[in-house]
Amino acid sequence: MTAPATEPAPGVPVPGDGAVRADSRARRALPFLRSLASTALVTVTVLFLASVITFALGALSDSNPAAAALGETATQADIDRLNAEFGLDRPLVVQYFSWVGNALGGDLGRSWFTTIPVSDSIRQALPVDLSIAALALVLAILIGGGAGIGAALSNGGIFDRAVTLVCSLLGTLPPFVIGMALIVVFAVKLQALPAGGYVPITVDPLEWLRFAILPGLALSLDVAASIARQLRTSLVGSLRENYAVGAQMRGFGRSRVLFGHVLRNAAGPTLAVIGLAIPLIIGGAVMTEKLFGLPGIAQLALQSAEKGDVPVVLGTLLVTAVIVVAASLVINVLQKALDPLARQGSARRAAR
Amino acid sequence: MSTLRRLWAIPTARFALVVLAGVAFLAVFGSALAPHDPLKQYTDRVLEGPSGDHLLGTDYLGRDVLSRLMAGTRLSVIGAAEAVVIGAVLGVPTGLASAWVGPRLEWLALRISDTLVILPFTVFAIAVAGTLGNGLQQAMFAIGVLISPIFFRVTRAVALGLRTQQYVEAAELMGASQWWTLRTHIWTKVLPNVAVTSAQAAGAALLVVASLSFLGLGVTPPAPTWGGMLASDLGYLTQQTWAPVFPGLLMMATVGSLNLLADAIRDATGAGTSARRRRRTPATSRKERSGAVVS
Repeated sequence: MTAPATEPAPGVPVPGDGAVRADSRARRALPFLRSLASTALVTVTVLFLASVITFALGALSDSNPAAAALGETATQADIDRLNAEFGLDRPLVVQYFSWVGNALGGDLGRSWFTTIPVSDSIRQALPVDLSIAALALVLAILIGGGAGIGAALSNGGIFDRAVTLVCSLLGTLPPFVIGMALIVVFAVKLQALPAGGYVPITVDPLEWLRFAILPGLALSLDVAASIARQLRTSLVGSLRENYAVGAQMRGFGRSRVLFGHVLRNAAGPTLAVIGLAIPLIIGGAVMTEKLFGLPGIAQLALQSAEKGDVPVVLGTLLVTAVIVVAASLVINVLQKALDPLARQGSARRAAR
Repeated sequence: MSTLRRLWAIPTARFALVVLAGVAFLAVFGSALAPHDPLKQYTDRVLEGPSGDHLLGTDYLGRDVLSRLMAGTRLSVIGAAEAVVIGAVLGVPTGLASAWVGPRLEWLALRISDTLVILPFTVFAIAVAGTLGNGLQQAMFAIGVLISPIFFRVTRAVALGLRTQQYVEAAELMGASQWWTLRTHIWTKVLPNVAVTSAQAAGAALLVVASLSFLGLGVTPPAPTWGGMLASDLGYLTQQTWAPVFPGLLMMATVGSLNLLADAIRDATGAGTSARRRRRTPATSRKERSGAVVS
């Protein structure tokens, strides 16, 4: 909005204009600041609660470093000594705050077995998951978006019904079965792609894509189905709204109306679906890792869980929670950017 | 009773109920009726195709696939049911309460549900297995806790919507106790929504249970479950590409029926229709989003 609501009436002295403008600017920025503050408060609370839940799991656990490392042969003296070494003899509140304090500084403690810093192990494994999850997200948006738009355009037609059917079928299968089907088709029958293994994206992006495309695809289909379903619903609804019908009557083509007018409005709910899908994608990445033998965070967590290596397990859970929260924040911002109602009074707008 | 009759009038609901009754039958009598011992290894007949002896073939240890499917039904179904019950027990009362308690507690309850929503099922279940031990109970507890926000939000949205209804306000003005209002006016409207959510959540839980047994969490081998069978078939894909089809189909039929049933209950009872009318309120939009998780 280039023209401010408080357009100076003719005859109003010029010096007052600036003051009025600044005033209205402040008034417009206020709701934005308030929403920013509430978002920050929610985010911090959610992160705090996630850390409490994570820590509580560790506190409820009856495994201890001595039993984990020495097994049955651990004597009470060993247990006490190692507990003291890892700081487990302190009160829980002290333990919690030192754990969270260190975690804020990027230190998640050391593994009870190898004494390798947990953050180092996670830093090594995380790029695998993040790159695959990102690829899956892109694929999900492309596939789901395409299918949703196509279904909305052929509303009631064969393509629409096919998309609906495929989406409902995909929803009834565990994600790893989809991965298995992909392995059978592309790796076993066609021998076109490797069924497992991994090359880091930093080493060779093309090789990485060859190894990552199947896991990414397996991971994306589930989410693509929910994106397609939501996008189809909102598009069909929006295409019936007066502004879309009006644009069509003024002679704009169907696709022009869809891409130029309707898609932007329908994208909001779809973004919400994507936001909710992020935990699914990260959780699903765990599955695909196992399926395709990728050296990611899930293998780390699973192996540590088998051994009862609590610091590593807690570290992976906490890092995962932080990643999901960060991704949800991005989605939240995108939603606000798309929605003029939410954006009204935003600083960006007032500054223009 | 009339609700059941209305449900039976919907063809898809009839189909779903028949399939689910079959699954329930298998869950109760499956291991007794299985033609072979699900754990017996016919070592000379490994990875065979369907034959007269083994109707669905044998797996990589020579165990009868049909028997394993039948015997595995119980653990798979019980696991999912347990998770849904835990989720409902945690989510429904808190959801109802959150519509009545003060804004601060309400805010906190919402944030707790936000937190549980962001934790991915598999990672959380791994963490629970790593700290509290690996077993069916721990896995079900983990899934149940993570499912509870769905119940919480659905219940809360309905309760919030009803609180502002005139007949509820009238009852309160006429001096009805909160407990009475809750029981007479709110609960009857909440129940269909809980039923819809339960059906959806049961389907989702079944998939998560399968995913967990694929990761080696929850039910430990050699006890048969659908997910575990799918997982073990993976190692022998090159020899037997069709092996995952049988447990996969069974699972698809069950989860699909649960989804169909959820839709049918919604149609039959009108659950969620009042929410659809009032789309703009934040509570209902949240409800719709939480519904999207399950579907």
